[in-house]
Amino acid sequence: MGYSLAVILDKKRLEGIKGTGLESKVTDMFGGAIQALIMDVPEEPYAKRILAEFPGARIDARNFLEEVPVAFKKAVYEEIRRLKSMGPEVLDAVFEKMAEIKELAAQEQEYLPPPEVD
Amino acid sequence: MEIKIKTPLPHGGRLVDRVVRNPELGKKMARGCPAYDIKPNLYNGMPVRNVYREIMSICYGFFSPVEGSMTQAEVERVLKERRLLSNWIFPYPLVFDISEEDYKKLGVSVGDRLLLRLKGQPFAVLDIEEIYEIDPQEIATRTFGTPENNPEVVRRAFDTKHPGYVIYLSLNRIVLAGKYTIINEPRLRPPFDRFWYPPAKSREEFKRRGWTTVINHQTRNVPHVGHEALLRNAAFTGDTKPCDGILVNCIVGAKRLGDYPDEAIVEAHEMVNLAGYVKPQRHMVTMLLWDMRYGNPLESLLHGIVRQNMGCTHHMFGRDHAAVGDYYDSYATQILWEKGIPSFGFPAPPNAVEYGLLIRPQNMAEFWYCPHCQEVTYSENCNHLDEIQRFSGSFIRSLLSEGLFPPPVIMRPEVYKVVVKWWKQFGYPFNNKKYLTEREKELEVDLAPMDI
Repeated sequence: MGYSLAVILDKKRLEGIKGTGLESKVTDMFGGAIQALIMDVPEEPYAKRILAEFPGARIDARNFLEEVPVAFKKAVYEEIRRLKSMGPEVLDAVFEKMAEIKELAAQEQEYLPPPEVD
Repeated sequence: MEIKIKTPLPHGGRLVDRVVRNPELGKKMARGCPAYDIKPNLYNGMPVRNVYREIMSICYGFFSPVEGSMTQAEVERVLKERRLLSNWIFPYPLVFDISEEDYKKLGVSVGDRLLLRLKGQPFAVLDIEEIYEIDPQEIATRTFGTPENNPEVVRRAFDTKHPGYVIYLSLNRIVLAGKYTIINEPRLRPPFDRFWYPPAKSREEFKRRGWTTVINHQTRNVPHVGHEALLRNAAFTGDTKPCDGILVNCIVGAKRLGDYPDEAIVEAHEMVNLAGYVKPQRHMVTMLLWDMRYGNPLESLLHGIVRQNMGCTHHMFGRDHAAVGDYYDSYATQILWEKGIPSFGFPAPPNAVEYGLLIRPQNMAEFWYCPHCQEVTYSENCNHLDEIQRFSGSFIRSLLSEGLFPPPVIMRPEVYKVVVKWWKQFGYPFNNKKYLTEREKELEVDLAPMDI
């Protein structure tokens, strides 16, 4: 069974994929209020490994992998941009950096900088 | 035919009130008693339950007609039939458990009165009627059910990933059964103090507001727009007109890592009315001290009891009510309230059995966002199934973690600002180990010094 992983695109990230050919793969969510790149994540070996590496990660009611560390999503976005792809090679590349991501994820558990809002 | 719906009687016929409000009498009751300092139950070093919350909810009448820590026969009946020895329905065993070491140190026996201290101060007394031993593993398994014994709704065996299951696993083996009495009334700390409406007070408040029909919204979450749609639309039920009031009753207690802090939950719900999305005249936010068991249909029974005691006439139930993971059928709660779950002792719904509930269920399907309809719409209305977008708390939490301002179609900006307020306070938007550990030290209450 496959799952999905949504990488949310803010203005900066949208800018970052300009000219990569990925623009056509941007999905509008909630009537265009959110833009995202939505990747397919096969259960074996990808989803299983993500769930095993991050105890807080879960599959939500939409069959999306969620509550993964911010550092993981950031790494997925960077690899999508670098490889200009949304295929499994993105996750292969992310998994190679797993030790570093987990270190950042542990720090995230202690503190996340709050956003500035008016 | 009676068309108008009246405020229901409390479960069991009367509200339990086991709070001594005269400090001199409290001191007298506790004089000469052996004392025990209440401590949280831990699982893998993390606090998962503090019995003080049960003592508060029992003594202030939320759990009426329960009056104390259950006897062995009562626990057995609850596990077998979900009924107290008095026959009134009740879903969960509630016990005062202590370690063998503490039991030996205390040297108490049946007939003794035990003084319970909280944060170093006298808090309550327990009049010991029985002392017995439990097997926490057995209690945990029987509390939530199994696919073999409860095939109607249990989809897979419970394990240590389930936060309610580990509460029962974390129990100490010795149980002191008997009635509790609070002898030193705690003061709720801000921001919880303004949401503290024990049943007698909430019933008075309903009267003051002129509410007769009141629908309850159960929550352990900061509200997203889907939650708001649920509570507003469910409230269209009532009698000759929609419900007079919407009561939001937030669960405050030990929760799982990754949930929102309770401070953010209560204030975010309050913001729904302060920001005018539901008139404050029709919307009231309250709280229940309870370490959630996440028991889906069983939890819904407790919710029905508590909210009936608070004076509600209706209770809304959605998909995956009080659930975590896929241990139960997504609609297990609705199955219970539509036709019953015989293996849990309900051949008929809880309000159609003897000694059952008087509160009326309002079972709702789902609210989702439809870009075609351009609105949040009810799943039984909207047929644009290829276009709809379901709300997901996990998705919203991910969005928040990344520091993104959620669009108003998902979360009201005023509600988001409440989340950020508490994020700044705790350095983290959700429950992490630090928050849960610190919180268990401070608790939700303070107690005045009392010399006995």
